[in-house]
Amino acid sequence: MGLLALLRKLKSSSEKELRILLLGLDNAGKTTLLKKLAEEDVSHITPTQGFNIKTVQAQGFRLNVWDIGGQRKIRPYWKNYFDNTDILLYVIDSTDRKRFEETGMELNELLEEEKLHGVPLVVFANKQDLATAAPASEIAEGLQLQAIRGRQWHIQACSALTAEGVKDGMQHIVTMMAKKK
Amino acid sequence: MKLKRFLLRYYPPGIILEYEQGGNLKSKSIDLLDLKPETDVDAVVDEITKKEPLITAAKAEQVRKLIERLQEKISQKDDHHFYLFKVLRAHILPLTNVAFNKSGSRFITGSYDRTCKVWDTASGEELHTLEGHRNVVYAIAFNNPYGDKIATGSFDKTCKLWSSDTGKCYHTFRGHTSEIVCLSFNPQSSMIATGSMDTTAKLWDIQTGQEVASLNGHSAEIISLSFNTTGSQLITGSFDHTVSVWDVRTGQRAHTLIGHKAEISSAQFNWDCSLIATGSMDKTCKIWDTATGRCIGTLRGHEDEVLDVAFDFTGQMLLTASADSTARCYNALTHSVISTITGHEGEISKITFNPQGTSVLTASADKTARLWDPEDGKCKQILEGHTDEIFSCAFNYEGNTIITGSKDNTCRIWR
Repeated sequence: MGLLALLRKLKSSSEKELRILLLGLDNAGKTTLLKKLAEEDVSHITPTQGFNIKTVQAQGFRLNVWDIGGQRKIRPYWKNYFDNTDILLYVIDSTDRKRFEETGMELNELLEEEKLHGVPLVVFANKQDLATAAPASEIAEGLQLQAIRGRQWHIQACSALTAEGVKDGMQHIVTMMAKKK
Repeated sequence: MKLKRFLLRYYPPGIILEYEQGGNLKSKSIDLLDLKPETDVDAVVDEITKKEPLITAAKAEQVRKLIERLQEKISQKDDHHFYLFKVLRAHILPLTNVAFNKSGSRFITGSYDRTCKVWDTASGEELHTLEGHRNVVYAIAFNNPYGDKIATGSFDKTCKLWSSDTGKCYHTFRGHTSEIVCLSFNPQSSMIATGSMDTTAKLWDIQTGQEVASLNGHSAEIISLSFNTTGSQLITGSFDHTVSVWDVRTGQRAHTLIGHKAEISSAQFNWDCSLIATGSMDKTCKIWDTATGRCIGTLRGHEDEVLDVAFDFTGQMLLTASADSTARCYNALTHSVISTITGHEGEISKITFNPQGTSVLTASADKTARLWDPEDGKCKQILEGHTDEIFSCAFNYEGNTIITGSKDNTCRIWR
């Protein structure tokens, strides 16, 4: 995928093509989730210093998923990718309780972004395969998702590593888009 | 008319005549695009003295010496072996494009980190960071051959003009309503042309910072543009499957090149601007007659999208790079295949000749850049080391330094 492909993926070329933005703190599991979606090997994943893009098919939709690095120093550049976003996927490491507050603040900032106004949100409560993971309900409460207005939202418990819950999450995305369009 | 002096131009081979006419200093070039090591110099000198009134019998000997020097230059064997000279941890996010100034003493890199950086080629030192854009810096250019200015086009919809010596921003050109993804200085360096995802191209005056013209007519994103050698025409390639030829002075469209069945990826003039080559997602490359706007050839053979096209400096050979991981070298006049370039393990997104026309440089998604012999398509060298795909590559004018820009946030210098 050269630069030209990046330009083509800036815009969705048809109703059936969706631009999906995958965000979250570093080590949340965004790239693992992306690779799992694309049915690729997830055993060797390193921190994303920029972005990864994969196109996956789901129920007649072409999903162009943009996975953006989550390290603190590159979070200010998330804005680069907001234009023409159809769905926001926000990934949370459910075992990293120390950073629940930090991830909540980042999410709130995203929800206030004008360019993401009204964009449906799916929160992936990731790493549910680990015993120390907080349940999705607790995370939803902590993030005060119920208070969200003006957009569809859904929280999905999942494990990107084992793929549990990933399909269900994608199903929700397609349902949301069907409602929106 | 009085001849003042001769200037030699190596690539493409030519002699520039500086002369006085009515008190004004003017120049014209004698292009020697067909010059070969074995060319009979006497015959060339004869022809020039016949055709060119400025070259009197008394000047013929001088012209002969110049041609001999050009011949010597093009006879030099190209056996340069490149090694990795420096890895520059250039940016904190992926690079976009890279470009050299004319002498190759400096180069610039654009990035997703919203900056453009100016580098010293010999030391690998960062000279300036051009900060101010609010989104990805995608298209960048030096105003070669002068090299004292840099233009940057951004996803923030603006184009900025900078001093390459101080890093100071002279102007911010506002007016596009979507991402700027291609730009070029005109050869006189009096204007910048920008192409945008908003379907328009615009011309800007460098001195005043004002918009000179908006070139409207495409129905989809413009992703490629270039001036002809004199700066009188501009071509724009668009995702609307067409290429437009614009008259720069009037801002009017001279031709629309219609025939491709999918998005255009690249549009280029040859040196004498008689031909335009266009690459397309329809897997073909087309060659057009600039004067009539007619398609005079369709180069088929690639099994996937053609992502880039490039003429050599003399305009006699043409390269195509494809998503099918191969490239091809064609005779630009006969349209016959000279060589097929195979070996990459991922799509080839950029392709270029060295100024001498003796090497082909390709950049690929397989994380390597490779050098090839255009005559037989054999791989001369694999430039390995990047840890992610290579987005851009360039030769300096001497052809002895290469820079590659990658999604791995680094830039590498090879000499």
